[in-house]
Amino acid sequence: MNFRQTLTHGLWRDLPPFRMVLGLCPTLAVTATAENGLGMGIAVTFVLIFSNMFISLLRKVIPDKVRIASYIVVIATLVVIVELAMKAFFFPLSQQLGIYIPLIVVNCIILGRAEAFASRNPVHLSMADGLSVGLGFSISLTLVGSIREILGVGTWFGMAVFPDSFEPFGFMVQAPGAFLCLGLLLGLMNAWSRRRGEFFIQT
Amino acid sequence: MREIAHLVLVLGVICSLSAAALAYVRTSLAGRIEMQEDFYVRGPALERLFKQPAEGLLTEKLTVPVGDQTYPVFYLREAGEVTGLAVEAAGHGGYSGDIVIMIGLDPRDDRVLGVEIVSHSETPGVGAKVELASFRQQWTGLTLDQPVSLTSDGGGIDAITGATFSSRAMVDGTNQVVEMLRDHRQEILLLIEERSSGGAVSGGEG
Repeated sequence: MNFRQTLTHGLWRDLPPFRMVLGLCPTLAVTATAENGLGMGIAVTFVLIFSNMFISLLRKVIPDKVRIASYIVVIATLVVIVELAMKAFFFPLSQQLGIYIPLIVVNCIILGRAEAFASRNPVHLSMADGLSVGLGFSISLTLVGSIREILGVGTWFGMAVFPDSFEPFGFMVQAPGAFLCLGLLLGLMNAWSRRRGEFFIQT
Repeated sequence: MREIAHLVLVLGVICSLSAAALAYVRTSLAGRIEMQEDFYVRGPALERLFKQPAEGLLTEKLTVPVGDQTYPVFYLREAGEVTGLAVEAAGHGGYSGDIVIMIGLDPRDDRVLGVEIVSHSETPGVGAKVELASFRQQWTGLTLDQPVSLTSDGGGIDAITGATFSSRAMVDGTNQVVEMLRDHRQEILLLIEERSSGGAVSGGEG
């Protein structure tokens, strides 16, 4: 992959929750509102860019046998830094996201990109890959969050979008709504891909 | 053998660098995090206890170390007199962890102004009922000269049905405050005097 492909592949071809179908736990759990989805996406993007950077820098130093352990140490360190920074600067958001921030450590997108990309590619490409996949993840989470918030609460980023007479269907902000929303989006994307004759369809 | 030494060395260096980075971030952000916690978590409880906006109250803070615990104490001072103390304590023995409470009292007559829940993780609908005003109002007007206990233990606090653990955690928190105030009351009032005399000029003008 060249630089441009690396920078854009996370936005459609390898869109994390819909194409790679990775990172579903936060996609389902924290997307009750668009703001939570975006916050989670940004946190993951930050961790991805820097974990890819450090792992790419260290790829020739880390022996094969302890590579997973080393990756996890790097990722966990970054996640704790994000957690502390969020508490210091975005306290209400960090309360909302709660346990899901520390759980970024076990988000398979991050370990996946480390193993599949950063451990084999130079630093600038790895960081571009982190940015690309992170952005794709943020957009996906914001999209799922927006749909759920607009239908389930009647607001978008806290702003009312419907007149008062709109009765929001609270089902959408609960757990089953997340599954429904994710499934419908996955189906729509597959249908679109099939029409365009693309071959990367999730079955 | 050489290989193992190499593995250990690399992993060891990565871990120590990570630890150093974390220690640095933690120490440099600790102050800000505590400010944020005061503002968002303790602020609302204080506001309800003293019926005043939290901005002015949060700066009036002391921490009283007792044994291996520290109790945050906030105070309200009017016309050169301490008219309110709010002591935070973590009540142990909740159904799922500690229930952090804040007890407000008027040090002039030692009556409890009220009790507020700062944070808890009790079961919604069961233990979480400790938040209900109807339960918490049992504290209002108590005098904190002796420990409190549940009616089932021979005391005067009616437990929430089905949530004895949560109720006991509240009682435990209260008794920590009782004990802390018994031993450190004078010390706290002296500390407040000391701090306010430093800023007495601005206080006098207001």
